[in-house]
Amino acid sequence: MPFEIWEDTRAQAIITAHAGHEGAMLPILHALQAAFGLIPEAAIPLIAETLNLSHAEVHGVVTFYHDFRRELPGRHVLKLCRAEACQAMGGDALGARARGKLGLDWGGTTADGQVTLDAVFCLGLCATAPSAMIDGRLVGRLNEARLDALLEQAQ
Amino acid sequence: MPLIQETDYGTPVSKAEKTVTLTIDGVKVTVPEGTSLMRAAVDAGIQVPKLCATDSVAAFGSCRLCLVEIKGRNGTPASCTTPVAEGIEVSTQTERLKQIRRGVMELYISDHPLDCLTCAANGDCELQDMAGAVGLREVRYGYAGENHLDAAKDESNPYFTFDPSKCIVCSRCVRACEEVQGTFALTIDGRGFASHVSAGIDQDFIESECVSCGACVQACPTATLMEKSVIDIGQPEHSVVTTCAYCGVGCSFKAEMRGTEVVRMVPYKDGKANHGHSCVKGRFAWGYATHRDRILNPMVREKISDPWREVSWDEAIGHVASEFKRIQAKYGRTAVGGITSSRCTNEETYLVQKLIRAGFGNNNVDTCARVCHSPTGYGLKETFGTSAGTQDFDSVTEAEVVLIIGANPTDAHPVFASQMKRRLRAGAKLIVLDPRRIDLVRMPHVEASHHLQLKPGTNVALITALAHVIVTEGLADEAFVRERCDWDEFQDWAAFVAEARNSPEAVSAITGVPADAIRAAARLYATGGNAAIYYGLGVTEHSQGTTMVMGMANLAMATGNIGRRGVGVNPLRGQNNVQGACDMGSFPHEFTGYRHISDDVTRATFEALWGVTLDAEPGLRIPNMLDAAVDGSFKAIYIQGEDIAQSDPDTQHVVAGLENMECVVVQDLFLNETANFAHVFLPGSTFLEKDGTFTNAERRIGRVRKVMPSRSGMADWEITVAISNAMGFPMHYAHPSEIMDEIAELTPTFAGVSYDKLDALGSVQWPCNEAAPEGTPIMHIDHFVRGKGHFVITEYVPTDERTGPRFPLLLTTGRILSQYNVGAQTRRTDNVVWHHEDLLEIHPHDAEQRGVRDGDWVRLQSRAGGTSLRAKITERVAPGVVYTTFHHPETQANVVTTEFSDWATNCPEYKVTAVQVSPSNGPTEWQSRYQGISEHNRHIADAAE
Amino acid sequence: MSPDRLIYMANQIGKYFESQHRQNAVDGIADHLRKFWDPSMRRTISAYAKNGGEGLDPVVLQAVRALSGVGPT
Repeated sequence: MPFEIWEDTRAQAIITAHAGHEGAMLPILHALQAAFGLIPEAAIPLIAETLNLSHAEVHGVVTFYHDFRRELPGRHVLKLCRAEACQAMGGDALGARARGKLGLDWGGTTADGQVTLDAVFCLGLCATAPSAMIDGRLVGRLNEARLDALLEQAQ
Repeated sequence: MPLIQETDYGTPVSKAEKTVTLTIDGVKVTVPEGTSLMRAAVDAGIQVPKLCATDSVAAFGSCRLCLVEIKGRNGTPASCTTPVAEGIEVSTQTERLKQIRRGVMELYISDHPLDCLTCAANGDCELQDMAGAVGLREVRYGYAGENHLDAAKDESNPYFTFDPSKCIVCSRCVRACEEVQGTFALTIDGRGFASHVSAGIDQDFIESECVSCGACVQACPTATLMEKSVIDIGQPEHSVVTTCAYCGVGCSFKAEMRGTEVVRMVPYKDGKANHGHSCVKGRFAWGYATHRDRILNPMVREKISDPWREVSWDEAIGHVASEFKRIQAKYGRTAVGGITSSRCTNEETYLVQKLIRAGFGNNNVDTCARVCHSPTGYGLKETFGTSAGTQDFDSVTEAEVVLIIGANPTDAHPVFASQMKRRLRAGAKLIVLDPRRIDLVRMPHVEASHHLQLKPGTNVALITALAHVIVTEGLADEAFVRERCDWDEFQDWAAFVAEARNSPEAVSAITGVPADAIRAAARLYATGGNAAIYYGLGVTEHSQGTTMVMGMANLAMATGNIGRRGVGVNPLRGQNNVQGACDMGSFPHEFTGYRHISDDVTRATFEALWGVTLDAEPGLRIPNMLDAAVDGSFKAIYIQGEDIAQSDPDTQHVVAGLENMECVVVQDLFLNETANFAHVFLPGSTFLEKDGTFTNAERRIGRVRKVMPSRSGMADWEITVAISNAMGFPMHYAHPSEIMDEIAELTPTFAGVSYDKLDALGSVQWPCNEAAPEGTPIMHIDHFVRGKGHFVITEYVPTDERTGPRFPLLLTTGRILSQYNVGAQTRRTDNVVWHHEDLLEIHPHDAEQRGVRDGDWVRLQSRAGGTSLRAKITERVAPGVVYTTFHHPETQANVVTTEFSDWATNCPEYKVTAVQVSPSNGPTEWQSRYQGISEHNRHIADAAE
Repeated sequence: MSPDRLIYMANQIGKYFESQHRQNAVDGIADHLRKFWDPSMRRTISAYAKNGGEGLDPVVLQAVRALSGVGPT
């Protein structure tokens, strides 16, 4: 999906819009990522100044959550679950297959900017393990064939 | 004394009144409600193993080492996060707990370098201790797995290193930065195995928001955060408790020593002013004591253009005595005088004024407080009856409204600022009156409700307008005033402040502060609960400094904000012993304890003990001495530990005065700027090299203890004694304690003070006498010292220092965290990393008008003189106002300041100078010429010359 | 000491005491000068006042004149 190019005044407007709410930091981070696709380092002083926090505090929150990106993702984002239930149902092998086919490690993006492969720890779909998510859409009962299809679709 | 190991209770003390009784390992213990099991165990004499807990920060419960079992409850709760409960039975040592602890330690050690023998923390490492305590004998996982052993060390801070390979991610540093210091510069980056301590945005410490207070180093249980001095020297072997010689907070430190070498200065938990906290100056910037610039031999010269000649102590002292006698014989008894130092001890200050009054036979003694807090002395004595602040520092923990006027605590009084910030984070409201946006106006987790950004020089108009609101809106505490103050005076004062010309609406035009902001601030101060005023030199260093001090006192009395905890009027003293120097009779008009020299009864007690007749007339104050020197009637001066050529206003006038004298004696650590004009240099001793006492801003007398021999061979008090003896007025003291005994004998407010008492109590706040044997934390509780509180009319008289077409901007001056006053000490430490030159802060609008860009050299010109420095463009200052510091002699900021001074005390008007700023290529002619003279006049002849 | 500076300082002191309603300004000024000014400063300003005292505010002039002859000046 297309993201806006980072721009301080636009970012500040987003931050200001959420600043009045209690516990504003997470909604701000989500809104920034929705707009720009990532949380660049430039966001940290702006958020810190607006919420009257230190740079360190904002940095601590941003880095705590894997979902907040420091770099732009590919056009498609494939998340494979690596949590216990999915592991038990063969998730590790599917993960290795996906990494092999894309030539990526976890968190990487293909050179053409087409696909980002993320690990995720539990999508709440243990009953249909192994599970995945592609561009926000949940996929259950993953197997090699379905994984290949997803990859093909994404590439 | 041996190395002091202070008890770590693991979690902070509970202040609850209700108590709870429980049993721990069979020992019955009663503690306040809310106490952790860990702390209760320490009270019962039992140490529960721990890593992430320390009593300076709240419990966190992350290390899983302090687990205990409670009879009848499931699981193994962490003792640090579990509060005590009535009647429970706790076990801290069971087979199950041992297994768990050993397992936890095994995991920690599996990702920790095994270099204990060569580690700087060897012998002072809690991780090492805990491995021992839980009986760890092997690590079954091996060391080959993923680990952090190769993590890069951050050595960017000049004083400590951060070695993440040794980090156990207990977050003690992060929490200390937040809870103790209040800077929030550290965080944990990432999560799980990847989590690591990060300064700022994963930056080097030096690049981050870190202010180098040392709280993280103090909190670290391993060698991760470690003083470089310990890495260089090794672990200390003994400690000496002493008092910091920087600002007026007067922090208590343990000097941790190897022999006579300081290994590190560690803030002392039992210190009543600092409670185990410190700042970058006291904690780290002590290296000046052994700096190569220290002058260690006395020196003499005929003319100031001659090179210095090193001489023996005997020769130097003999020369001083014969010169002073010669000059008195030739020009009269009053042609000589001296200046005591707020950097020296009470005992030393006392001796200098004694030498002058009794030995010189006149009262020409003054002290550097003249140029900082002399209006405090006058103003608070006039209104309340005592020339000192009303509260102890801890009082701020009960303040609900904090009003800061002309002070910048986070830079100038950082350890007290941390305590204040803690209170503000807990909900107290803050009002700031300052022409400049100090950090406290808005910084992480602190935000002032009101910042009244007034025009420099308009304090009195503003304080009267605040009073106007309080009186006209019926917010005064009439019951308090009727009981405690002179009611008729109050009514007169109320009628005066209520005049329409003192209303916020009228005063707004003078101060530049919107009327509604003044009204809101006044209402908050009067109705927000306990309201406490803290102020600094932004109050005193004005032509109406004294009037402003009295204006604040009026406000406190009118609202009943005096005489209990959480309220009061509190000067933040600039130097370690300003309070003490004033207490010790350093002013030309008063003896110790602020008693006027014309008082016959008081004078008689001094005459009886000293065995001389004393002059009943006030002597010259510093500016008067300089004026008299320029006129030719004042010929010799003995200056102990003050650099008037850099710190006093209107440098060219100071220099002219000094150049006109026949004998200038400078007693100091370094060849300071004043020494350029001196005929005799007597090398003094640092606070590490002598015994004595300092009195901090809360009237707390704390011991200074000698940790190393005097490098010049004489402590400052011994030098004064030697001069006095040579002058024919013998003094006999074997130890400073005997000087304190004499002070106590002569001074009613010090009657109960002795070194024995200070050793027993740690410190004591005067008045300390029969009525208050353990001292007086809060003053004026039932009645004012003077009887009835005295309201004073505070008519605003604008300073004659005005802006105009030639000098359209107002210059105001201040201080920065890493440097201290004239910088004689801090410039000789690694603190220069943070501030190596004075900068001129200028508003973007004013800069643009003048074509000045950030970092440009600019010329700063007033009618008194001009200097050049670099510009820093910032919105901290309002348009029309510029600001600089005075830490560096190259800048010579006081070349620019004028001769205007406070009406009552002659305290210079540093805070208001009309100036012009223009682009410049570099130093001014004066700076270059002065630099030349300075280099020439510093020359010390070789022994052969 | 140069009278100019002393005149300036004395007038500054005068302005304060003039504003205090409950105290006689002349007494207040004179008392302040006695308590805080060194005798040579008081002598200089007194001599100056004797010669007309130009530049001294009226109330200050009165106070300075009241100083003369009082105490060991």
